[in-house]
Amino acid sequence: MVIDDSSAMRLILGRIMRSLGFDVVEAPNGAEAIARLQSGAMPEIALVDWNMPVMDGLAFVNAVRREEKWRQITLMMVTTESEQSQIVRALAAGAHEYVIKPFTPDAIADKLALLGVLAY
Amino acid sequence: MTYIPSADDLEVITREVWTSFLDGDPAGLVAGGDPPTGEQITGCVHLSGAYTGSIMLQCSPPAARDAAAALFSIAPGDVTQVEVVDAIGEIANMVGGNVKSMLPGPSLLSLPMVVQGVLSVPGAQVVRTVQLIWRAEPLTVSLWQQAS
Repeated sequence: MVIDDSSAMRLILGRIMRSLGFDVVEAPNGAEAIARLQSGAMPEIALVDWNMPVMDGLAFVNAVRREEKWRQITLMMVTTESEQSQIVRALAAGAHEYVIKPFTPDAIADKLALLGVLAY
Repeated sequence: MTYIPSADDLEVITREVWTSFLDGDPAGLVAGGDPPTGEQITGCVHLSGAYTGSIMLQCSPPAARDAAAALFSIAPGDVTQVEVVDAIGEIANMVGGNVKSMLPGPSLLSLPMVVQGVLSVPGAQVVRTVQLIWRAEPLTVSLWQQAS
């Protein structure tokens, strides 16, 4: 699942994920992503932007981590928020990894491999 | 004393965004030139907190259209106004977020705003600016600071 308010970024990340063999669903903010999860979507991994309208990425991570049924979803922040304190907050909330924009396709693939959701 | 990223820092960050998503050729973005005149598109993010100010990206409509075409991987002639707003907003967001990491924190980063024309921030002044050229079109990145 790719969650980003920028349709260009959803397109770029979606293309990278598809090239790595994933099926991709998209959401423009955390609230719509939660709605998709509530309607039965169960992604292996969610790539989550931080600054989004309606529900931001940190609130999304908190909401997912509160639900036992969504525990298995791997959460990776993909965001421009690059202050150390922000990274610590996201990881403390339950994000597994953190990628700072701009990124390369290889950087995304490397992080996914580190998380064990991508087999090289 | 507050450390303010240099004009070179702004250029390095902008170049990184450009080469990652818009133009794989590092030589595609050239330092120099004159600020854009006439019609302009401005993308902006605001910072509030330990540093209060803004990061702005100003460019000509053709540069904005080409940037959107590159981000969306479509022909420039097929770019819509919505795609221009999305692309310039996301570029301003990426540049702004990385500039923010060099400023005193913590600060909050706003959602990006995109306007047709020049944006001015009441009570703020430009503290750094870098002038660039991409595909023969001018591009300005500036860091603003709110007067305390």
